[in-house]
Amino acid sequence: MMDILFFKIALALYLLSTAGYILSLLVRRVQVAKISTWILFSAFLVQGISMVFRYVRMGHTPVIVMHDSLSFFVWAMTGTYLAFQLKTKTRVLGAFVSPVAFFIMMVASVGLGGDVALPEMLKGWLVPFHAVLSIAGEALFALACCAGAMYLIQDGFLKHRRLTAFSRLLPPLGDLDRISHVSLLWGFPLLTLGAIAGALWARTVWGSHWSWDPKQIWTLMAWLFYALVLHQRLAIGWSGRKAALLSIAALFLLLAALIGVNVFFTSAHRFFV
Amino acid sequence: MNIILIGMNHKTAPVEIREQLSISCEENSSPLPEIMKIGSLKEVLYLSTCNRVEVLARVTDEGEAIDSLREFIFSLGNLPEEELGKCLYVYRDEEAVRHLFRVASSLDSMIMGEPQILGQVKDAYRQCVEHGASGIILNKLLHHAFRVAKRVRTETGIANNAVSVSFAAVELAKKIFGNLQGKTTLLIGAGEMSELAARHLVNHGVGRIIVANRTYERAVALANHFHGVPSGFEHLGERLQEADIVIGSTGAPGYVITKEMVAVALRRRRNRLMFFIDIAVPRDIDPAVGGIDNVYLYNIDDLQQTVDENIRERMKEAQKAEDIIDEEVLNFSAWHNTLEAVPTIRALRDKVEGIMKGELERAPAWMKNLADEERKEIEILISSVLNKVLHDPITGLKEETQEDGAKSYIAAIRRLFKLDEEKK
Repeated sequence: MMDILFFKIALALYLLSTAGYILSLLVRRVQVAKISTWILFSAFLVQGISMVFRYVRMGHTPVIVMHDSLSFFVWAMTGTYLAFQLKTKTRVLGAFVSPVAFFIMMVASVGLGGDVALPEMLKGWLVPFHAVLSIAGEALFALACCAGAMYLIQDGFLKHRRLTAFSRLLPPLGDLDRISHVSLLWGFPLLTLGAIAGALWARTVWGSHWSWDPKQIWTLMAWLFYALVLHQRLAIGWSGRKAALLSIAALFLLLAALIGVNVFFTSAHRFFV
Repeated sequence: MNIILIGMNHKTAPVEIREQLSISCEENSSPLPEIMKIGSLKEVLYLSTCNRVEVLARVTDEGEAIDSLREFIFSLGNLPEEELGKCLYVYRDEEAVRHLFRVASSLDSMIMGEPQILGQVKDAYRQCVEHGASGIILNKLLHHAFRVAKRVRTETGIANNAVSVSFAAVELAKKIFGNLQGKTTLLIGAGEMSELAARHLVNHGVGRIIVANRTYERAVALANHFHGVPSGFEHLGERLQEADIVIGSTGAPGYVITKEMVAVALRRRRNRLMFFIDIAVPRDIDPAVGGIDNVYLYNIDDLQQTVDENIRERMKEAQKAEDIIDEEVLNFSAWHNTLEAVPTIRALRDKVEGIMKGELERAPAWMKNLADEERKEIEILISSVLNKVLHDPITGLKEETQEDGAKSYIAAIRRLFKLDEEKK
């Protein structure tokens, strides 16, 4: 079971990079953050290998079970962050991304090893297509939220003219805003396509695209909210503080749809008990 | 060690005396040939900047050398002895080494951490080499100093963060915009301060400069200077929306930029971030501007406060730098101590014996078949050959020790036989 071994290694590497980033904040050295970025990169690679092994062993794209979708979420978010990292000097943003990645990996590791047979209805190409696109979109939104949170902190420092060693370490506002912007810009069509794929699939098994399921309703609300955020950004030119606040609020709404609904409501979208 | 350092800097000598010395240096290009005539000096480095004049030398007789160098500096400055004498400091051996390391690392500079001094030390060393005034000790010492300076620069934050108001403005602009490429700066008022800040911004990539001034001619003159655009005061409102960075430095008694103007400009530029720097007293920009979202306003006091903060930060880092220097002074002393004859002879013997043992262990098969006695004979033969070979260099070294030239012989032997690398 190579996939489990590699998953565990990746988990350890995420822990290591998180520790490294926290250390870089404590000693206020970008150098430490640089090393942590490389550890994060290796975690990303190892996790990728684990997913390939899992694909081979399970015989389907590993994004459907909770464990797999969380793992894929982390992988997509980390990969996107690392890509941004190449373009901008935002190493310290990793100090937000890496702990989130590690935490979700911990949650994902709960389902480790307990392989569940895939119900007949979830077989076919539409389901992984729906899951991959939606999760990738959500991962980008999570990144937008991280960048937004860091933006608010840095904005607070600069607004109150407190340029400390800590604020020096944080990335420039312009870069953070751009990451937020680009993440939203790409995340939205991904989530939209994912939802469409989901609706098409729903028609084949439930006989209708839309069935007033709590999960569908919440996701639609989050989708509308993101549409609003994007509209404010593109058409009205909202950027900076307000946009950062919105992208954080939007993620909470989306999280409510993803996690809250599964816990508090009975949803047709629950396939495993 | 026989190393001395004599000189004065901005802490010990007032500017009138320092300038007297540096002027006289410019006249006769380099005083090195003059200094080298002093008999007890073996190697000499002469360092002169606007904040310091120093002579570093390896000498045979410390007392004599110091007296002659003092005299030389008095004659150079053409100043009364008692006045100049009070400004001079003298360091010996380890203390001289430490002082050089501190100077090269910019710990002894007027603005701690400023990078120019290292270049000046390098220039001084180049001159010293060109005049044939450097030898084994100073070569090693100066290269060591360059290495220390690099370590201090990379391992401590002593050179981080702006320590002047205009650099602080650039640093802040970078924290806000990230990259300054393609950003536009609007200068309101064409004074000296705004020109200085604008120059720093342009050096860091700001693309376009707009100059607005009450007298249009001044605006045109300064705008030409930066290949920028001049503007009259009446168009300030429209100009504001183009500007990412705004620097106010007029002598106007009231606010030139009001909150309403900024609110309108911000709407027109679709809320893109704006950075206002108010270096005018009385202030040009209404402080209420700072309350608007996506707008950052810093006045002269805020910038000064940042600078003070940065200086304090550097002071803290300086302590780390001092620790590095302590360590490196010890390293240099350790190297210097190897230049004694006895340890070198021992190291040379050890090395040769080591080679012999190693070769015997790897001896061909036929030797292993020999009787113990025969093998002993061979070993004795080999070691007597080696002793004969080593005999002359070793006695030579012992004889040279009586004279001053020994150090360079020792250094040569250590290098040729790679005695120092062996230890690593």
